[in-house]
Amino acid sequence: MSGFNDRVGTPLASAKQSSQFPVRWRILDAAERIAALIWPRSLYPYTGYLLLVPALLLVFVLVIGLVYIGGYSLHELDLSNYRLKESFSLTNYYTAFTSATYRTVLLRSIYASLLVTVITIFLAFPYAYLMVRARRAMTRKFLLISLFLPFFIGQIVRAYGWLIILGKEGLLNNIIGFFGFSPLKLIYNYPAVILGLVQYMLPFGVLLLAPAITAISRDVELASESLGAHWCRTFIHIVLPLAKPGLVGSSVVIFTLTLTDFAMPEILGGGTTDFIANSIYDGFFQLSNSGLGAALSMILVTLGTAFVVVIFSIAGTGTLGFSKGAE
Amino acid sequence: MSGSRSKATVLWAIVWFDLILLSLPTIIIFGASFTTGDIVQFPPEGFSLKWYSKLWLLDDFKAAFFRTFYVSLICTAVSIPAGTLAAIALSRYRIRFYTGLQVYLLLPFTIPLVVSGLGMMIFFGEIRILGQLWPVGIGLCIINLPFMIWAVSASVNGLDDQLENAAANCGAPPLQAFLTVTLPGVMPGVITGALLMFILAFNEFLVSLFLTDARIVTLPVSIYNSIRSVITPDLAAVSAVYIIIAFIAVLLLDKLVGLELFLKSK
Repeated sequence: MSGFNDRVGTPLASAKQSSQFPVRWRILDAAERIAALIWPRSLYPYTGYLLLVPALLLVFVLVIGLVYIGGYSLHELDLSNYRLKESFSLTNYYTAFTSATYRTVLLRSIYASLLVTVITIFLAFPYAYLMVRARRAMTRKFLLISLFLPFFIGQIVRAYGWLIILGKEGLLNNIIGFFGFSPLKLIYNYPAVILGLVQYMLPFGVLLLAPAITAISRDVELASESLGAHWCRTFIHIVLPLAKPGLVGSSVVIFTLTLTDFAMPEILGGGTTDFIANSIYDGFFQLSNSGLGAALSMILVTLGTAFVVVIFSIAGTGTLGFSKGAE
Repeated sequence: MSGSRSKATVLWAIVWFDLILLSLPTIIIFGASFTTGDIVQFPPEGFSLKWYSKLWLLDDFKAAFFRTFYVSLICTAVSIPAGTLAAIALSRYRIRFYTGLQVYLLLPFTIPLVVSGLGMMIFFGEIRILGQLWPVGIGLCIINLPFMIWAVSASVNGLDDQLENAAANCGAPPLQAFLTVTLPGVMPGVITGALLMFILAFNEFLVSLFLTDARIVTLPVSIYNSIRSVITPDLAAVSAVYIIIAFIAVLLLDKLVGLELFLKSK
């Protein structure tokens, strides 16, 4: 025997040698061998699809739910036993479209969504612009934190904040009373719901506008202004058109989130300003008519999808795309 | 900033209005929670932490708080692998039906929350898991999954793919290249996404309303159930807890990845 050095390459030697490797390497090597066993090289072209499987399965739960709701919507409520009839019919859709109540709710939701979208973008654009263009890092940080804090506080808590401020025995009415005036009805009405929704949507608007504004070169603006354009003109003719991906992304998100909102109309509207989501909820849990609720759900899905599809096909996905991003 | 004085004046006027709008409810809730009186009123009565100490003695509140925490943890734990892998797949691999898949993965955003919630309530009821706590976490993960994919895919796109090729060239087997090059490279996106998922789940109301019942009620739902026309400071204290958690999350996000990340153009 002339020592181990001569015998490099024999199983014994390599075992001896590998045991001197750090534990981490050996674990990694083992994991690598297991991985190669489960997912051999011949399957490599499909690795991308394998990585997508968990996400696809999770989202599939929503598809199943949608199929159930679609099924429910095709059965009429049997008033004798409060169950859905076995037979298929379009009665629920007929009821939803012909009832004056639901037409009012539908139009109110759409109108409110347009209003909230316009107001929010008008308020969000200067915010995003100043935040992106801020010279001082401190200013930018301040604006970012003021934006993220309410963003991370949910709808319920924020609606409750508005209740404290606007409620019948709320802060504003307290102040008014303090000065000897009779209390005002500031809550459970349309403006309160719009206010709550605009406040809720503002962070979404700013965060979807900001990347698009970042992409606009300062030089373009400077060029326009040095050629004598008033800043308003520069804003309207240069900045706004170049921010299109952000405008598309933010308006799609704000519109659809408002259209489908439940909490703000419920808490700040107090039954006076129901949106479609509130009618769906009532259909299921107050009227116990899951068929009608399901039909309203399908109408809401169709409406929201149609809006998104139309905007995307006209203007692209804007800042909403996953990876290839802005146009 | 370029441009005239009037530009700065007009823009800052709107932004100050925004700032007041954004922070008013937060400030008021905070103020209301410190009152000594039994109702919230102006001018406020004294200053005390009595509603906070009462809160801590309330078993219902504590139970709801820990349930919400548990649900948010499940949501985050599931979304990290699912979202990260999906984001890597979408931006690093050649995928057929790319557009279709992207539309499919955006379904949690395009299907209204009320419909997603009802659908999951019906489906979870059919497979007999409704009424348990973990499916709530899964449900919240599903409806917010696109946030996770977004966050990570921004990181993946910022990562030079030659790095992975270089690792492979130097002899790194696929798993090792993934664990030592790709994963650390996309970590800022994973952290951002995970924090977002946690905080969104912690706040989520509507889907939780459908998936919980009186036995397993979570905090947002229990706040909603207790909102009455009379405004009491104990609810303000619960809400203030939310504000504190949101503040911690914002600071954490700023410390770990920097809030400026959200201003980057894609």
